Amino acid sequence: MPKLVVDGVEVEVEPGTTLIQACEAAGSEIPRFCYHERLSIAGNCRMCLVEVEKSPKPVASCAMPAGEGMVVHTNSPLVKRAREGVMEFLLINHPLDCPICDQGGECDLQDQSMAYGVDGSRFHENKRAVEEKYMGPLVKTVMTRCIHCTRCIRFTTEVAGISELGAIGRGEDMEITTYLEKALSSELSANVVDLCPVGALTFRPTAFSARPWEYKKTESIDVMDAVGSNIRVDSRGAEVMRILPRTNDDVNEEWISDKTRFVVDGLKTQRLDTPYVRENGKLRAATWDEAFAAIAAKVKAAKPERMAAIAGDLACAESMKALKDLFDKLGSANIDCRQDGAKIGGKGRAAYLFNSTIAGIESADALLIVGSDPRKEAPVLNARILKRWNQGHFRVGLVGEKRDLTYPYDYLGAGASTLGDLVAGKHDFLEVLKGAKNPMIIVGQGALTQKNGAAILAAALKIAELANAVREDWNGFNVLHTAASRVAGLDLGFLPGEGGRDVEAILEGASKGDVDFVYLLGADEIDTARLGSAFVVYQGSHGDMGAHRADVILPGAAYTEKNGTYVNTEGRVQFGRRAIFPMGEAREDWTIIRALSAVLGQTLPYDSLNALRDAMAAALPHFDAVDMIVPAHDLPSVSDADLAALGDDTSPFAVPVKDFYLTNPVARASRVMALCSAEFGAAPAQAAE
Amino acid sequence: MSVRRLSPNQPASFAFTPENLAWAKKEIAKYPAGREASAIISLLWQAQKQEGWVSEPAIRVIGDMLDMPYIRALEIATFYTMFNLAPVGEHYVQLCGTTPCWLRGADELKEVCRKHIGPEGHVSADGKLSWLEVECLGACVNAPMVQIGDDFYEDLDASKLETILTKLRNGEQVEPGPQSARHSSEPLGGLTSLTGTLQPAAGDK
Amino acid sequence: MSLFSEIFVWWHGQTMGTRFYTWRKGKLMGTDDQGNKYYQASDGASIGGYVRRWAIYNGDAEASRVPPEWHGWLHHTVDVTPDESGYRVKPWEKPHRANLTGTPLAYRPSGSILAEGVRPAATGDYEAWKPE
Repeated sequence: MPKLVVDGVEVEVEPGTTLIQACEAAGSEIPRFCYHERLSIAGNCRMCLVEVEKSPKPVASCAMPAGEGMVVHTNSPLVKRAREGVMEFLLINHPLDCPICDQGGECDLQDQSMAYGVDGSRFHENKRAVEEKYMGPLVKTVMTRCIHCTRCIRFTTEVAGISELGAIGRGEDMEITTYLEKALSSELSANVVDLCPVGALTFRPTAFSARPWEYKKTESIDVMDAVGSNIRVDSRGAEVMRILPRTNDDVNEEWISDKTRFVVDGLKTQRLDTPYVRENGKLRAATWDEAFAAIAAKVKAAKPERMAAIAGDLACAESMKALKDLFDKLGSANIDCRQDGAKIGGKGRAAYLFNSTIAGIESADALLIVGSDPRKEAPVLNARILKRWNQGHFRVGLVGEKRDLTYPYDYLGAGASTLGDLVAGKHDFLEVLKGAKNPMIIVGQGALTQKNGAAILAAALKIAELANAVREDWNGFNVLHTAASRVAGLDLGFLPGEGGRDVEAILEGASKGDVDFVYLLGADEIDTARLGSAFVVYQGSHGDMGAHRADVILPGAAYTEKNGTYVNTEGRVQFGRRAIFPMGEAREDWTIIRALSAVLGQTLPYDSLNALRDAMAAALPHFDAVDMIVPAHDLPSVSDADLAALGDDTSPFAVPVKDFYLTNPVARASRVMALCSAEFGAAPAQAAE
Repeated sequence: MSVRRLSPNQPASFAFTPENLAWAKKEIAKYPAGREASAIISLLWQAQKQEGWVSEPAIRVIGDMLDMPYIRALEIATFYTMFNLAPVGEHYVQLCGTTPCWLRGADELKEVCRKHIGPEGHVSADGKLSWLEVECLGACVNAPMVQIGDDFYEDLDASKLETILTKLRNGEQVEPGPQSARHSSEPLGGLTSLTGTLQPAAGDK
Repeated sequence: MSLFSEIFVWWHGQTMGTRFYTWRKGKLMGTDDQGNKYYQASDGASIGGYVRRWAIYNGDAEASRVPPEWHGWLHHTVDVTPDESGYRVKPWEKPHRANLTGTPLAYRPSGSILAEGVRPAATGDYEAWKPE
């Protein structure tokens, strides 16, 4: 443990700590451009120079390990002069076009030139100019502004796992580019914009639309996938302008996927802003009273067992809780939150959670992925797997469709039969798992949505058991969800009650005329053609499949417009917060259900969001543990009968995310996402390395 | 010299000749498994020897051979100035323009090249010659000098270089090395020291 | 314009004082296309070393009505009047347009709330879903 003195403050740091981290620990801030905690060290910007006693010249603190007995000065005249020199060099070829630069106001170079910039330039030659580089529909480049910190190159290589960015040429003529200006093919590509310390890489979709100081910043939660990335929603007036990541080391570190970030323009199109009622086959705009009256008439006429409700992928826990309570009161057991028909839930909480936790991936040393493509289903989580893979001594096996996951893996097989082989010990990857200290198994929705999904789940549990993956100190059994609402729905028991119908049975019943009334809570990923002649109520924020089929539309709030609780795939309860108000007549979802319950004469017992949350927490204590993990230990035991249905099917597991950019109603309404989808298309199956 | 970009005119494909392919495989085998990318410079150089320059298809082929991303291969090819990124003449003249050669008349040689070959970096119409000014080639004693292909031609002046270029164009043999009377880098006017015969020192047997 | 109204209305053409001064000292140097008359002090009276020059507008006293060629002379950029120098209006020169500021025809940049026609995009705008 080296001890050193920084500006008169003595600190003791871990061996291997860099000087810049030691200085931070001592409370001295060091300016930097190229250094980034989560990336490898490049040491090429030279901005972090500090003076170390007995050293003949200033040292780059990011690349110098902290040593025993070092005496460091970070604000001596020498340091100031050195940094001013560096800054002068950096500004030689920087265009100083801050007034027309989108980075203005949140630019590292701008900020640090306030401290270390000199007032004039001694450079009388021509500044260099660099051609713009195409990097895809999301990242806009003004490469003349680039200061060659190479953060973007290191990010794409180390975190995103695509070696597509590079620096060609050398010296003054060095340029950052992709190979022959191809688009960046990563789902995390726009994070390079956050990393860029200058305005060389900016957001293409939101170019020239606002200045950073105009935003109202709201800390919220993302619902595009089940990771529950922590986001900051930047809004101006009644408009969400952009979404940025928030640092949360347990969930998303400081990355978010491109879908999370650029779905914002979808929040402004295809919005449901007024209730609609279908009359004579045509939807007409109506008042809330008319819409409720139309629903009430149908509900009163329908028998409870002929009513059903389906919750969609973006629903918040509050609205699901309210809808479940309403259907309980109405006496109907036909409720389901598993639009995709995953055979999961009801068997103990641990059986549907990502028990190892996302941060826990880093302590795993072998991984079996069953029927999942984490790169498309949860890009941020996939980055965590890649991070673990980069640390070495980590083997990954995949059962399912072959995809490019950005890291090499052992391809074990396509479907259920391979899983059967693993259970039977006929496959040597089981030995890999057994030999690992902390083996991990990830079961994806691609496997669980199969007809024999329950057996596949059982097989995965069996493998976890065989590999001793579930112990006191380690739980290596994980389910990776794709829907932000899913875990909350399963927690709340938004599942068919006794004798109740699941999604498949609801649709089957509706098409046969056995179900008269279907309540869709933002459910758009079902086959609406099979709803037959049932009376359909659609509550949601966007006019998608569900709204087109609906007989009554209740306009709800999108995730940026309501205070909602979301539970991510780990079971982490997180609060999304309202950044702007819902559009037009739209209301927060739980209030709609609460108001409807009064019209139906089944008034729900909560009048405020807090009362509703209290009701949730009373039933499920972990809803009180916000932002934390409440470990679940109730993994069901597996009997041979459970495994019997596994069969020897060699057909590959399904692919739940067919087009990464178009997975939910908000994304489907977004022009930027449509553009991305056109650029990158549906993910092609790729051979593993 | 330092602005190094791919030529706009690229061939459709690239392939090593069987001999070069065998050589490349041997080169790759020198490095441990997983570190094949270390052979990138050797392979790019061999590709240049084969084609005279490194084309974009060649970069891709070599990237595939070494299992490395194309951009990484492109980075290497554009970094090192000895890789030609555009076609060169059959005889590729690299003219040293650094201070010693410049003081000894490199500018005149440049004029000759402009006259006989054409503008810098362009291949002459008959495809025989092209030239480029480069930094010091380390033969300052014999300045001014040029490198043509793999050989140095030293102690040049305008007329000597003209003769060399004409001969090369006509396919005649040219003797590399100093074009003056001296051998190697010995003094021009003959030796001024060590002129006697070697005498064994006293005590030596 | 009647001599009578000129006593009270100074914003058309000239005031009585200017008329008197022009009659006494003014030497007519020329007239432009719009009928504005340009004078120079006949006694060589100067201001700041420059001979005094002035214009009497034919109608509204509005400085932008002075065409470029006369503007140059009036401001001592050139010594000779356009008539003397044989100035010809270039085919690409546009005819004079009155200053429209303060009138309904005034220029409004895009996004101005005073602009007519299409309402500019505003924050909080969204596209509502419409059935069918």
